[in-house]
Amino acid sequence: MDLALDRLLTAANQIILGKQPQIRLAVCCLLARGHLLIEDIPGVGKTTLSHTLARLFGLDYQRIQFTSDILPADIVGSSVFDAHQQLFSFHPGPIFKQMILADEINRATPKAQSALLEAMEERQVTVEGRTYPLPQPFFVIATQNPAHQIGTFPLPESQVDRFLMRIELGYPSRQAERELLSGQPRHVLIDQLPVALLPEQLAGLQQAAAEVHVSPALLDYLQAILAFSRQSNDFASGLSPRAGLGLLAAAKAWALIDKRKAVLPEDLQAVLPAVAGHRLNVGTNDSVAIVAPILKHVPVL
Amino acid sequence: MSAAALSLKQRLKLSRFFSGEAPAAGPIVLTQRRVFILPTQRGLAFVLLILLLVLIGFVYNNNLAYLLGFLLASIFFVTILHSFKALAGLTIQPARQQAVFAGQAGPFSFQISNPGSQPRFAIDLVLQSELAISLAAEQAQIVTLYQPTRQRGWQLPGTLTISSTYPLGLFRAWAPLRFDSPLLVYPKPASQQLPFPDSDDGQDKPGQNRRSGDEFDGVRAYQRGDAIRQIHWKAFAKGQGVHSKYYSGASSSELWLDYQHTPGHHLEERLSQLCRWLVDAEQAGLRYGLVLPGLRLPPDNGAAHYRQCLQALALF
Amino acid sequence: MPFLPSTRLMLFMLGSIGLITLPHAWHIPPVLFGFFTLMLLWRLFGVWRPSYLPNRLTVFLLMLAGIGLLYSQQHSVFGRDAGTGLFVVALGLKLLEIHGKRDVYVIVYLAFIVAVTQFLYEESILMALYILLVCGVLLATLITQNSQAPQTLPALKTSAALILQSLPLALVLFVLFPRLEAPHWSWLDDDTQARSGLSNTLEPGSIAELSLSPELVFRVKFDGELPPPAQRYWRGPVYASTDGVRWRAPPVLGRENNPDQPAFTGTAYDYTLMMEPQKQNWVFALEMPTQFAGGLRRNGLYQLISNKNPGDRAEYRLSSSPAYNTGGISKTERRENLQVPGKPSVRIVELVRQLQDKQARPELFIGNLLQHFRQENFHYTLSPDPMPDQPIETFLFERRAGFCSHYATAFVYLLRVAEIPARVVGGYQGGQINEVGGFLEIRQADAHAWAEAWLEGRGWVRFDPTAAIAPERIERGVNVDLQIASGAVNFSPVQLDAKTLSWLQRGRQLWQSVDYNWQRWIINYDTVNQKAFLQSLGINDFVKLGYWLLISIAGIGGILAWRLLRPNRRRQDPALVLYRQFCAKLSKAGIEVDAGDGPKTLAERAAHRRPDLAESIGRITAIFIRLRYQADSKTSDLQVLKTLVASFRV
Repeated sequence: MDLALDRLLTAANQIILGKQPQIRLAVCCLLARGHLLIEDIPGVGKTTLSHTLARLFGLDYQRIQFTSDILPADIVGSSVFDAHQQLFSFHPGPIFKQMILADEINRATPKAQSALLEAMEERQVTVEGRTYPLPQPFFVIATQNPAHQIGTFPLPESQVDRFLMRIELGYPSRQAERELLSGQPRHVLIDQLPVALLPEQLAGLQQAAAEVHVSPALLDYLQAILAFSRQSNDFASGLSPRAGLGLLAAAKAWALIDKRKAVLPEDLQAVLPAVAGHRLNVGTNDSVAIVAPILKHVPVL
Repeated sequence: MSAAALSLKQRLKLSRFFSGEAPAAGPIVLTQRRVFILPTQRGLAFVLLILLLVLIGFVYNNNLAYLLGFLLASIFFVTILHSFKALAGLTIQPARQQAVFAGQAGPFSFQISNPGSQPRFAIDLVLQSELAISLAAEQAQIVTLYQPTRQRGWQLPGTLTISSTYPLGLFRAWAPLRFDSPLLVYPKPASQQLPFPDSDDGQDKPGQNRRSGDEFDGVRAYQRGDAIRQIHWKAFAKGQGVHSKYYSGASSSELWLDYQHTPGHHLEERLSQLCRWLVDAEQAGLRYGLVLPGLRLPPDNGAAHYRQCLQALALF
Repeated sequence: MPFLPSTRLMLFMLGSIGLITLPHAWHIPPVLFGFFTLMLLWRLFGVWRPSYLPNRLTVFLLMLAGIGLLYSQQHSVFGRDAGTGLFVVALGLKLLEIHGKRDVYVIVYLAFIVAVTQFLYEESILMALYILLVCGVLLATLITQNSQAPQTLPALKTSAALILQSLPLALVLFVLFPRLEAPHWSWLDDDTQARSGLSNTLEPGSIAELSLSPELVFRVKFDGELPPPAQRYWRGPVYASTDGVRWRAPPVLGRENNPDQPAFTGTAYDYTLMMEPQKQNWVFALEMPTQFAGGLRRNGLYQLISNKNPGDRAEYRLSSSPAYNTGGISKTERRENLQVPGKPSVRIVELVRQLQDKQARPELFIGNLLQHFRQENFHYTLSPDPMPDQPIETFLFERRAGFCSHYATAFVYLLRVAEIPARVVGGYQGGQINEVGGFLEIRQADAHAWAEAWLEGRGWVRFDPTAAIAPERIERGVNVDLQIASGAVNFSPVQLDAKTLSWLQRGRQLWQSVDYNWQRWIINYDTVNQKAFLQSLGINDFVKLGYWLLISIAGIGGILAWRLLRPNRRRQDPALVLYRQFCAKLSKAGIEVDAGDGPKTLAERAAHRRPDLAESIGRITAIFIRLRYQADSKTSDLQVLKTLVASFRV
């Protein structure tokens, strides 16, 4: 199983060049059963990344392009009157897939956004009083443009919390860009990708991630981080208990990817920028800079 | 955690007993240096009671009366230790300060943690406001005390006095503490609601969406009176019900708040007006920029930008 | 804001006040106690129904009523009873007036004073424990008052801890605090309470009732051997003059200087005698007291008299010698001790003549008389028929059944008729040995009367006619258990009882022993005892006493401070302690150790900087990680880590 994970990471790294940390975080996020928010300018490979992951994990994949006129029903589906049977029947929307790429989520109205975010949180959809469960696993990768452009609706702070991680991709390095330019088109490569994990293997990995050992000493460190974020004047608001749970789940998955049976402080530190960056409201998007005071001041031991 | 040793002169300075030592930036641990103990009025009355009991013992040659008197005297003595114990070891550190507008009660937050395995039953905290708390063993609590604010800028908390009369009320143990944890005070927003200054493109009052605007803003459920051409036909065709598209104009245009173009007789008045506009603009969801002499914050909105602008005003 | 005491606080306070005042129900006039109880119940009701509490005017009227009651019940302001009544009534009234925290304190302080007044009535160990417990609840009241979120059990626990921590210092103060003999203030005296005991007069029948009472009269602890039971006569009043029915102790004024000081032979017994509160200031010494400490005097009748208040417990050091010769007697004394009312009847004279021989030798006559008691049909009973007139004749010739007084008075009367000076001696006989404490307990049941005859060359000699009764003639119905100790009733069941000493008796004896020591060391710790005790410690003057006081307070304070104030934080992870040592060594080697570094990060940086140490750094880090963060650490890991860190050299 570990080998499968290695294979998966290697394959992904061959498609998206020079983005090992981000790919690892994305995989980590998936293993921790969390949703991922990618914030970056267009064209740096957000779609490619999500497509690659879907392919490698062998998940049903659906891309939803969020636009300003998209309606909640466009996402979750709607009941349509069937003239033949004289009945309303539910037409599931695109969300009923295992992996969703919600592209440019901040283009849609808050109403449409919240339809997606509610589905993410509850892992089910309620239309006209009836509840439809979403498939398992269910994984949302949302992308958003960082620049405040006219006609965009940035995700409200309370909603951003629904994403386990937020990562930025950034421009590729010179060497990676060269390879990209000289290689085959990415969509061709993606189509050729083999499935690296069986569905039950993914479930097993998620289970294994949840079972990674956490010592009291590590919980002390985690609590110190949470307490620091709540007291420090560096942040407008501290990390919520949900953020604490997310940090722990992500650190466990990170330890699993590292083939360890116990979480180390370094695992928490590794996932901290991605997990905590978007929850600590400081007015900048640089996750690493945001969490730097935490890493610096909270004693590990 | 060990603060620098005090010289004898510093130790005996009277102000230590009332207003504490020089402000500290970090956490303060209550030790024998910080905590002072004196008997209360009730404690002095207790001494009289003890004397009376011993007198009864003397007059009646009654050894049990003596014994009860001595027991109370001994309890009086032991209570000194318990009074110190009520505060000893507590760690107080300033917590996040939530900035306020001048004139509002300034909230100063402190985190009080009890590292010991004994619960603390009654801790009184006095800044300008008072608060009484109790702390379980190995527990921490964040308390907020208030102190009036008058001027914009950084404001230091006064002396935080933490005291306790636990267990018997015969002694009061207290520790005056000063912290170097300033609170940011924004200017007081002007009470008068002036219209926003003219922006580049000249807009009317904010927050009003013009139906006839040119900027597509979203869709909403159809309301009577919506024009037919606004109806979202595509959605209707999919059986999603009748929706209408709406458009807005000014709401997402940019507003520049410039010190130079702000009415007011003097600096504070202008800042106060700017502050008012900032508050209104943020509430209206406008995108606004701030221009102060030597500072230019590009238009944006959201909590972070809002704070940044207000801070600029506070510290200008 | 009006002060609203919590229900818990009120219940604590009212409960403890009710308990602390309760024993006064037996001490103060019932009207006053009723008044207090009414106030207490009213206040208790007001805890749940505050609207029913009296207003200021009602409280004022109640106060007037209280003053009126006090005035009507007692006529003085000073003194124990008056003071107690005053404080109890004041406490009751104050209960209805709780307007602030201050009032709670006033009430609690008043309650402490009422607690002390209990000790003026009773000083038993049980009362002391009771008051101590209730004081604990009073302290818990104060703790509740000063707690933010008061809880019942922690408050009680804290008050118990406070008391326990305070006891050592209280005891030191108790021992060292200089006791001054308080002058006797007569205005503080109250009417003497009715106490039982021997009286100034003796009428056969007056002892009968006492003999059934198990009340303790005094205790005796001998320094060495106990005297044999036959010699355990504790001398009390001497009854010399009689009107034929009643016998009286003669006035002793002017008789202090007996011409002949008694001569003592044989070994003396040294003992400590502890008197319980008495009606008379008599001290019952073993016959005959030779030495006695200050405060005591021996009157002409060889009875010890104390100049202390008989109502207090008192302790005396005495020495007695059972072999003595009192020497001659004066004419007055002789006349007194031959006095009979009127002329003896014919029957009496006839009997005396029968028992007398030609030479009229007194010893022979006495022997014959005792023989007469033994051979004729005389019985011993505690419930004799009443003999109102001519009791002696009735007893001797008709009833022939009675108890010690009957025998003693009849014996003395006959001796006097035979011209032998004789008198009746009252006191106690025997006593029960407390095996736990090793002392004798003498109870009212041991009260006894015997006779004394003056014999030429021997002085006053004791005769106990009751002892002459044959054991089989003891009538049923006599409380055997109470008479065991009495040598007069020396029949065999005594030994049987001693063998089957049940655990109940043993427990009783243990309790008596505890009580004895309580009396001995706490209640009677007075100026003299303190002086002796302190001298045994080498404390002779006040300066030394002051040093001792200071040193003990400082010592106890130091121990308490250490016990109470040492930081009680959680024990640190031993692995972490070792790892910190390792970090210290690393930073000595110039490798910076940041607070935010995890062990792995630190190890990587350190190994990069010092490749020569990479291996040991790696091993230490791996074991530390296993101990601190992993689930699969072995018990030996800690030891390994210890060795590795110890041997780590930079």
